[in-house]
Amino acid sequence: MENSGGFSFDLCKRNGWLVEKGIVKPPSFTKTGTTIVGLVFQDGVILGADTRATAGSIVCDKNCEKIHYMAPNIYCCGAGTAADTEAVTDMVSSQLQLHRYHTGRESRVITALTLLKKHLFGYQGYVSAALVLGGVDCTGPHLHTIYPHGSTDTLPFATMGSGSLAAMSVFESKYKEGLTRDEGIKIVTEAICAGIFNDLGSGSNVDVCVLTKGHKEYLRNNLMPNPRTYVSAKGYSFSKKTEVLMTKVTPLKERVEVIEAGDAMEE
Amino acid sequence: MDPKIDSSAPISTGTTIIGVTYNGGVVLGADSRTSTGVYVANRASDKITQLTDNVYVCRSGSAADSQVVSDYVRYFLHQHTIQLGQPATVKVAANLIRLLSYSNKKMLQTGMIVGGWDKYEGGKIYGVPLGGTIIEQPFAIGGSGSSYLYGFFDQAWKEGMTKEEAEQLVVKAVSLAIARDGASGGVVRTVTINSEGVTKNFYPGDQLPLWYEELEPQNSLLDIQTEAVPMSI
Amino acid sequence: MSIFEYNGSALVAMVGKNCFAIASDRRLGVQLQTIATDFQRIHKIHDRLFLGLSGLGTDTQTLYQRLVFRHKLYQLREERDMKPETFASLVSAILYEKRFGPYFCQPVIAGLSDEDKPFICTMDSIGAKELAKDFVVAGTAGESLYGACEAMFKPDMEPEELFETISQALLSSVDRDCLSGWGGHVYVV
Repeated sequence: MENSGGFSFDLCKRNGWLVEKGIVKPPSFTKTGTTIVGLVFQDGVILGADTRATAGSIVCDKNCEKIHYMAPNIYCCGAGTAADTEAVTDMVSSQLQLHRYHTGRESRVITALTLLKKHLFGYQGYVSAALVLGGVDCTGPHLHTIYPHGSTDTLPFATMGSGSLAAMSVFESKYKEGLTRDEGIKIVTEAICAGIFNDLGSGSNVDVCVLTKGHKEYLRNNLMPNPRTYVSAKGYSFSKKTEVLMTKVTPLKERVEVIEAGDAMEE
Repeated sequence: MDPKIDSSAPISTGTTIIGVTYNGGVVLGADSRTSTGVYVANRASDKITQLTDNVYVCRSGSAADSQVVSDYVRYFLHQHTIQLGQPATVKVAANLIRLLSYSNKKMLQTGMIVGGWDKYEGGKIYGVPLGGTIIEQPFAIGGSGSSYLYGFFDQAWKEGMTKEEAEQLVVKAVSLAIARDGASGGVVRTVTINSEGVTKNFYPGDQLPLWYEELEPQNSLLDIQTEAVPMSI
Repeated sequence: MSIFEYNGSALVAMVGKNCFAIASDRRLGVQLQTIATDFQRIHKIHDRLFLGLSGLGTDTQTLYQRLVFRHKLYQLREERDMKPETFASLVSAILYEKRFGPYFCQPVIAGLSDEDKPFICTMDSIGAKELAKDFVVAGTAGESLYGACEAMFKPDMEPEELFETISQALLSSVDRDCLSGWGGHVYVV
């Protein structure tokens, strides 16, 4: 059973029974209620994302990373169930790495796209990952969107996630062909901010990734429009100490120092 | 329907797609709207997909399903062309689409119109609707917008049209459907295939004919608003 | 009711200066009825790595056994202990394997790297890693723990202060949660 690979459906029957008996409601997972965007500019592709991860109404990560690495020249923004976006991008990026070892050539965006859509289509939408895939390869810059059911689009500018409507409003009014790098970053940042401020599922900071021919620039926390303003300078002091009932000190095991013998092996 | 946008809803090409034969070839036409529920996920999509040099297909229904079917058929036809040493016929292409649609009919939500030209039978249109039937037709319409077009085509389609007449008919029909069908919109794309080869055309949304009660494009609707009248109860 | 609330639990881990602390409550209940008051939710994987498992008791124990088994195999093969980062990836992979029929537990992992750099991390029940620089929480008292930790935590605490902070955060949070309580275990490494 161990290490067989693929999903394991062992607990499905039990979990389904628990839900069916009305004992419980099905569990909810960490979602990246998200704003992710991408656009094509004159020398390449720019991707953008917010950094909020939520579980229901709780913000469980205020500064997570949603722009995933696929290949040195390809990155991918993920929205939907956090575990799915993470797993699917990791899986495909390792397939791309193996493919590069095999062929000795730079990965192509279309390869990543096909691998991603094949996986997502196979799971018929149950693996809920909505992706914006961007990269520059030997055939130029490419930007694609991939839906959880496995359909794909090829676009000059794209948005995804719960904040996609807010972000698209920025793109629709400001995008034009042949943007410069700085104009592109500005519009992407603005679009993410539209998501952060107008969509409750998105929030915190703006991550940006600029991909050009033979070069990438990952601008982590490119803009931090929501700094914490309520930190107490004094810190917190407790009037009464915690009542300790029992203390046990276990010293850490001493590390064995490996000392190289006086005469190292000579050739 | 709940107007909230459910981004996990399967995205579908609520569509208008058309295939028309004429004297010497075929014209395929489609709008460019792809929607998730009520949100337009892509306003400039290309639903007329290439299968071989001489065969194209119009896709409708679930975007994911129709993309996978056409990807497989393109792959099979590529192999077939190499083995045969000459271009595949439209009939073979349509039959492969039918084969996949029929044998996976429980999994797939897609209707397609195959059109192309080959040296044996000339221009041919095949409709492959939801269950996986195959129908050879002089003209075929599909997608949600097609319900507005049946009567129009019964009246307007004529045997032995010229290429220009056929293309104008397709553009007119798609623009009519765009005007009435909320799930169709954007631009009109056409692909014309005949013995000479393939011609692709693109008609921007603001240059389509205006139909009943449609307005000229405006910068602001305030410009055309008549004088304000106080509301009375 | 969510199945995560069946037995009740509170888990928290915090980072200090070259140290970390991980704490849990001691209660095991069946909904509102308390069954045991000395339940172990935190487990030692090795000297510098601790694993807390919140959620359904039966699943936490099963998962713990599988993880210990995998860690022992690793020790046999590699003749060394797992790095916290590696262990977190292992937990994540094991949880994601059951993507469509998950274990009902949310793990908290806390460890020290070879250079005494603290590492803490939590996941949802299907292995979506959440790496934090300050603190992580889990369990039925998670929401109140978030509040308490947000207010009480400050960076670079020494072990003594870290102990006091994490204990106070835990105790004040479980006071507002019916499903966890009966004191707590605190591990400072």
